[in-house]
Amino acid sequence: MRRKITSDLAWAALFAIIGGLVTIGFSGDKPQAVAIAWIAVALVVIVPAALNFPTRFFGQLMPPVWRVATATFHEAWRRRFLNGILIFAVLIIMSSWVLAYLQPGAELKMLIDIGLGSCRFFGLLIAVFLGTRLIADEIERRTIYTLLAKPVSRAQFLFGKFLGGYATVFANVAVMGIAFYAVFAIKAPQFREIDPEKGATTYSMDFMYANIAKAIGLTFVELAVLVAIAVAASTVFSWIFASIFSFFVYFVGQMSDFFRQLSDPDHGASRVAQILLGTIYRVLPHFEIFDIREAILKDQAVFWPVLTKHGLQGLLYVVIIMLIGYLCFNEREV
Amino acid sequence: MSAAGRCLHIALAIETKNLTKTYGEDSDGNPVGLADLTLDVEEGQIFGLVGPNGSGKTTTLKLLLGLIYPTSGSALVLGQPIGDPAYKERIGFVPEGPYFYDHLNAVELLAFYGGLFGLSGKELSNRTQELLELVGMWSRRDIRVRNYSRGMLQRVGLAQALLNDPDLIFMDEPTSGLDPTAQMQIRDVILSLRERGKTVFLCSHLLKEMEPICAGIAILNRGRVVTTGTMTSVLAGDEGLFRLEAEAVDAAVAAKIEGLAGSMTNSGGVFEARFATQKDAAKAAEILADGEAIITHLGPDRRSLEQAFIEAVKGEQ
Repeated sequence: MRRKITSDLAWAALFAIIGGLVTIGFSGDKPQAVAIAWIAVALVVIVPAALNFPTRFFGQLMPPVWRVATATFHEAWRRRFLNGILIFAVLIIMSSWVLAYLQPGAELKMLIDIGLGSCRFFGLLIAVFLGTRLIADEIERRTIYTLLAKPVSRAQFLFGKFLGGYATVFANVAVMGIAFYAVFAIKAPQFREIDPEKGATTYSMDFMYANIAKAIGLTFVELAVLVAIAVAASTVFSWIFASIFSFFVYFVGQMSDFFRQLSDPDHGASRVAQILLGTIYRVLPHFEIFDIREAILKDQAVFWPVLTKHGLQGLLYVVIIMLIGYLCFNEREV
Repeated sequence: MSAAGRCLHIALAIETKNLTKTYGEDSDGNPVGLADLTLDVEEGQIFGLVGPNGSGKTTTLKLLLGLIYPTSGSALVLGQPIGDPAYKERIGFVPEGPYFYDHLNAVELLAFYGGLFGLSGKELSNRTQELLELVGMWSRRDIRVRNYSRGMLQRVGLAQALLNDPDLIFMDEPTSGLDPTAQMQIRDVILSLRERGKTVFLCSHLLKEMEPICAGIAILNRGRVVTTGTMTSVLAGDEGLFRLEAEAVDAAVAAKIEGLAGSMTNSGGVFEARFATQKDAAKAAEILADGEAIITHLGPDRRSLEQAFIEAVKGEQ
């Protein structure tokens, strides 16, 4: 019974967060309206959650995948390193309350850099270290034997592990995002009012609230790609090498635009550079598309078609990477 | 109907043909793994697979469960090719020293595995209670797996394997680490499965346990089957002879029997003799009893599984 209530509350919270972020994305600079909408969404989702709707719906739609995913999610929350990262991340985000004052005149920038940067950085750590352990631990602890002896195909197992791992990363980053948004909602108006004559810069905040919600949303997409890379890599490599590989792909993927420029013949790239760097540019996921910090700081509108395009691009990356992961895992002996 | 004709109508739960899995070669150049395994396991039979460590028992199980892929050869499990998720609806697997998600308790664990078979609600909870009672874990259902003893793990391992009421159950050392009472309970469960027409594929080192319950047997050594057949055929000794075994037999008493026995040994406190007729064997037993010897066996000349195993393995070395 206790587990059911906890599960329902978790679902309610999850829907509330998603609903809240979407609402903020549409609301622009209207925090009160956002708060009301958020509460409304939370109330509306409690009803289906109380009826255990997601478990009923997804459980019937794809039972093995759903079972593996929920077991992975519940188990992941018991990993101490993950709890440690979450606590540390929230503390860092909360400390931006004070740390922002270290750069007079750029407090708002500090607040955003620390908050969003923490969500992305700690999300990255959780995605990679959790993602690469999901399959490895099943094999190491031999729990995979009883699981694959049941009517669970390798594709269902792999997809379930990915979904459970991603749900964990999502929930962790959502907690960080809420902490950041809370600090931002309280402190940002104060920094905006600092007198420019004393050296501080004023910011226009027409799009900032919405942009921050959009940035967190894009971080969720970015982390889905990363979890997919980590899970797929762990089907081939040991978890340590898979972690190194995932970080490498992430950091090189952040510089994909740089590779595009280097491989551009108009910039004097040689034939070899065109082929080599051009291939890197085309093959690796373009992680820089998920970073909209510049637009936030310049308070420029980030339009939904652009966001949708980046979201779909992220989804496509996930599908391709998981297909590669499946092909590798299908050949693997456990 | 001819013998061959009758064989065609026997339903096979497991059928392997030259199933081979090679992991490389040992220092003598012999392939390591499993070589040319050809087995037929009839439906409704308890079939035992025995062999020394590293003989290929676990490799065989992993191949049949689709956890690893064969280098060559083929196998059908319940009529389906190995690895096909379709037959996994109808099988159960009790691994050796089972490993489970250790944050769950017995009920949660069975709920998780039951969900994989599409069981839910009242059906799942009834089945869970029934199985946990069967393996003696119902009173300890709230204890987390991480706090289980090896015996408790084995019991829950058996319960999860029976959730879907399987037609074929694979068991890898199911009584390993259990106390004698629990071993007997597990053996009773295995026998009750046979009575219900289920097929049990049993891998074990405990030969004395296998002997009375297995109808078919295969002895593996260094990845090859050295003996296979029905238990009766594998254990058969010299046709029509009777064997008498005893302890503490005085040399003078043994001398009185010499004329009756076809062959006789009496060394190291163990007396063993073979007789052409049951009448001679009974007469000899009477002489031994009068001489205050302890009779340990009197019956048709049949090897124990342990003897058959040792002879088969020695013959290969």
